[in-house]
Amino acid sequence: MKKVPIAPRPGWQAFAESVGFQFHTIDNEPYWDESAYYQFSLAQIEDDLETPTEQLHQMALDLIPDIVSSEQQLSQLGIPQQFWDAVKESWQRAEPHLYGRMDFAYDGKGPAKLLELNYDTPTSLYETGFFQWVWLEDQQMRGVLPEGADQFNSLQDKLEQAFAELPLPRPFYFSSVTESQEDKGTVDYLMDIALQSGLDSRYIQLEQIGDIDGQLVDLEGYPIQGLFKLYPWEFMLQEEFASTILSSDTRFLEPLWKLLLSNKGILPLLWQKYQGHPNLLPAFFDDGKTALNPGWVRKPLFSREGANVELITPQGEKLQQGGPYTDSGYVRQAFAPLPRFGDSYTLIGSWVVGDLAAGIGIREDNSLITKDSSRFLPHIILD
Amino acid sequence: MQKKVFKRSRKAALIFMVPAATLVLQGCGSEQAVEAQVFNTPDECAAFYNPPAQCQAAFAEAQALHPQVAPKYANKQECEADFGVGRCETAPEQHAQGSFFMPMMMGFLAGQMLNRGGMAPQQQQSAAAAGGRNTVPNQPLYKARDDQSTFRTAGNTPVASQPGPTQVRPSAVQPKPATLARRGGFGAQAQQRAAAAPRQTTYGG
Repeated sequence: MKKVPIAPRPGWQAFAESVGFQFHTIDNEPYWDESAYYQFSLAQIEDDLETPTEQLHQMALDLIPDIVSSEQQLSQLGIPQQFWDAVKESWQRAEPHLYGRMDFAYDGKGPAKLLELNYDTPTSLYETGFFQWVWLEDQQMRGVLPEGADQFNSLQDKLEQAFAELPLPRPFYFSSVTESQEDKGTVDYLMDIALQSGLDSRYIQLEQIGDIDGQLVDLEGYPIQGLFKLYPWEFMLQEEFASTILSSDTRFLEPLWKLLLSNKGILPLLWQKYQGHPNLLPAFFDDGKTALNPGWVRKPLFSREGANVELITPQGEKLQQGGPYTDSGYVRQAFAPLPRFGDSYTLIGSWVVGDLAAGIGIREDNSLITKDSSRFLPHIILD
Repeated sequence: MQKKVFKRSRKAALIFMVPAATLVLQGCGSEQAVEAQVFNTPDECAAFYNPPAQCQAAFAEAQALHPQVAPKYANKQECEADFGVGRCETAPEQHAQGSFFMPMMMGFLAGQMLNRGGMAPQQQQSAAAAGGRNTVPNQPLYKARDDQSTFRTAGNTPVASQPGPTQVRPSAVQPKPATLARRGGFGAQAQQRAAAAPRQTTYGG
């Protein structure tokens, strides 16, 4: 694994905008960064990332039957009691799930360490599945990268296959928060793939979803029987239509049981069951009050994009990221340093579609906590 | 010879996010208009060479749909402003100050007359069998105060200016429940948290 500088494609910004990638630059800061790429060997990809991803995914799924039948664990994970039955039923009915992303600390040597599961509303999908794929094709076409270079990125193929095969109601609705251009981009990409696979796909703004007699409805009052929502379950369960989730005849992507895996509380539960596993870091439930020791990271059960994460390196350096996720419990996880390449710290997001590993996306940040201001860099496989 | 196994997608195409491709998509998917019939009464329907029993059935379906799909008004004046004096009636729903009002049914659209003379029955049946939004449901029709010659659906789509056969796009004439949905029940957390962290650009992660 190494980082290699490369000339950005001339005019890539205009191309990006022409294919729906409006958020390549966020608040005048670059988000898509093609001034360098990461290079992996095939063995690094297959042995250190692909195989562990599928194994960890299966280990996490194996925890669910115990969790849904344990009031103690459901409480520890901060699941509101009135939804315990619904979570359990969504699991027992085997409601289909689409995708997720694991974040790893990995430097090319030794086992990748699982930092967390983003299993409810993972983003950076378009950047991974489409834009870095096109980047590689372009750079090969220009003769800048060798023909033999490959990429660990079957994301779009696998998503298309999933949409074609999953038992989803039709029409199927896709929804995101109105104000977020980035989320709309992610949802547009998923809808595009769903359309290509033949699914009758429609968009509705999350705030425009209606409720008639306990049934979620679209703008015209038709029942919404299938809904992809790029919006956290833990938010939805606190909002006005929370009770409609229980009464509405609606299949959700991700299904409600994914709330258990997108939860940072899955990390201590994984550690309890598989203590010492090479890809796991020691993790424990935390009261959020006691002082953190050097070499530990504290995260809220529910948080996104590095918000409200607190960290002390083994050398005693303290880092704290503010944010809006202060209303849940916490976990404490052993610190695993992100590898440093130049001035940046590098995080690997490893995608899962259905139950298969489907590729990686790489993000860099100037800090040890990867945030929404981080940059996305492409990668190649070349031995 | 061993074939190289790639770790990346065979293709990564977009059809919907790319504006030029969207045009093509719309071209391919453009909807065919289908034939339906418009009548004032079931007797008039039968006079157009249709089986009287089917005319009665279509009329009854339209009548049953009428209170569900007709536009609702909080008072009679607002309703009559749109549909004309003496052309509104009490709706089944109540609100705190009294009844809702809705326009009277002024005719009906018959979408699935099966054995009409002169038309191939298989064609009609296959359209009906396709179900969903490709067919034209039997439904009530209305007339606006300032345009008494045009039959309109409850959704205000004009369908004909005289009784008899007409061409309609099925998607434009799907009856919609006029029940008022509650909206805005999702998204409040995003609002609150955006206020706490204004730079946050995603609710994914």
